[in-house]
Amino acid sequence: MSTKKILALLLFCFLFACAYGNAYAGEGAGGKQETAISKKIDTKNLSGVNLLIADLYNNDRMLYAVVVTLVMAVLGSIMAFGTDLVLKHFGMSVSKISHSE
Amino acid sequence: MDIFNISLPIAGIEFNFLLLILIGFCVGVLGGFFGVGGGWIVTPALNIFGFHMAYAIGTDLANIFGQSIGAVKKHQKMGTIDWKLGYISILASIVGLEAGSQVVLILEKAGDIGSIVRWCYLFLMFGLSSLMFYDYFKMYIESNKTSSKGIGKNSAAEKKEGKSKLAEKMLKINLPPMISLPASGIQSVSLWIVIFVFLSTGFLSGFLGVGGGFIRMPAMIYLIGIPTVIAVGTDLMSILFAGAYGCFTYAMKGRVEFIAAFIMLIGASIGAQIGATAIKYIKGYGIRLLFAVMIVLAGCSIALEQIYKVTDISVYQSFAGIVLMGTAVLMTFIIITRLVLESKKEKKIS
Repeated sequence: MSTKKILALLLFCFLFACAYGNAYAGEGAGGKQETAISKKIDTKNLSGVNLLIADLYNNDRMLYAVVVTLVMAVLGSIMAFGTDLVLKHFGMSVSKISHSE
Repeated sequence: MDIFNISLPIAGIEFNFLLLILIGFCVGVLGGFFGVGGGWIVTPALNIFGFHMAYAIGTDLANIFGQSIGAVKKHQKMGTIDWKLGYISILASIVGLEAGSQVVLILEKAGDIGSIVRWCYLFLMFGLSSLMFYDYFKMYIESNKTSSKGIGKNSAAEKKEGKSKLAEKMLKINLPPMISLPASGIQSVSLWIVIFVFLSTGFLSGFLGVGGGFIRMPAMIYLIGIPTVIAVGTDLMSILFAGAYGCFTYAMKGRVEFIAAFIMLIGASIGAQIGATAIKYIKGYGIRLLFAVMIVLAGCSIALEQIYKVTDISVYQSFAGIVLMGTAVLMTFIIITRLVLESKKEKKIS
């Protein structure tokens, strides 16, 4: 693993530790006072994925946060990969560029 | 259009599926191209179309995190990220952001400071755009003069390094420890200067309650002398970390509408790839000009919002929303058009 990757990983860990602490301290990103939403979702009329998400939200907020963050990362990577392939197909591939202004 | 409405269980509302994709796509293109998170577009846009503010911010942050991953990867491929500068930016920005938000909390005790913050926001947006317009047209006139002397206009603009006088002065300050930023083409700069710049931009973003991408990107260009494309890539890298932090912490507080963020990310990821690819075809000064146009229009939207707060006439708020979304759509259209035209031109040449 390169130094760049180790540094990135350490920084991510540091930020997530801060985020975890911050969430419990009741202070959000951007510095504004943001209290946690304690409401429970009414699952009576829900089914399928909506029910699954609402249950996760109601029962384990920590797991919900982990799932949201991971899914965003995975979906973002997959979509980026797919779009990159399509752009390449249209001749818009990228490589190192010069920094002319 | 009701057939496109989907149920969002956490926010407890119904929302148009296509609108989510469109908002995501626009903010993705702008984010990938300008190196900004785009929270100043997404949060009010979601809010205008019926999202409660509590969920709009968290959902936006989750989307920013997802879209930044692909854009950062692309910028890394193009060699437009200065990792060293990015790490310094993240750490100094956190300290600055905390200081800025503390000042807001102190001032809030004295009374409502919402109006002061909005005026500062307006001043900053119009000030930045004026500086960038001035800089662009100065370069344009100079390159025209050079071309009339027999040198090609484009080559003259390309040869010019594009460092502002202020950046040159900053780079001359010899205050140890000195660091080099080879990825940005800077041989030596005082670490204190770099920290000071990011502390200041962090302070401003904390004070204004924004992510700060639109402040950091020009600050890197005009205060440290970072080339535009490197400033864009490095800013995106900072946004990726900030987005991850924001996504996690807001989800912990139950403020992320998962399904909306997921759908928005489909549009945003595609948009971010297109925006980041456009960087290859549009030169640094072109990016600066488009950025200046975008923030002046966004500033107009905030001005309308400010008028609404003062007069309480709701039509101004509606106008503010229309101008904001119109700006996002217009800029997205311009970027994609330029990308298509320039890539066609490149194909013809090769």
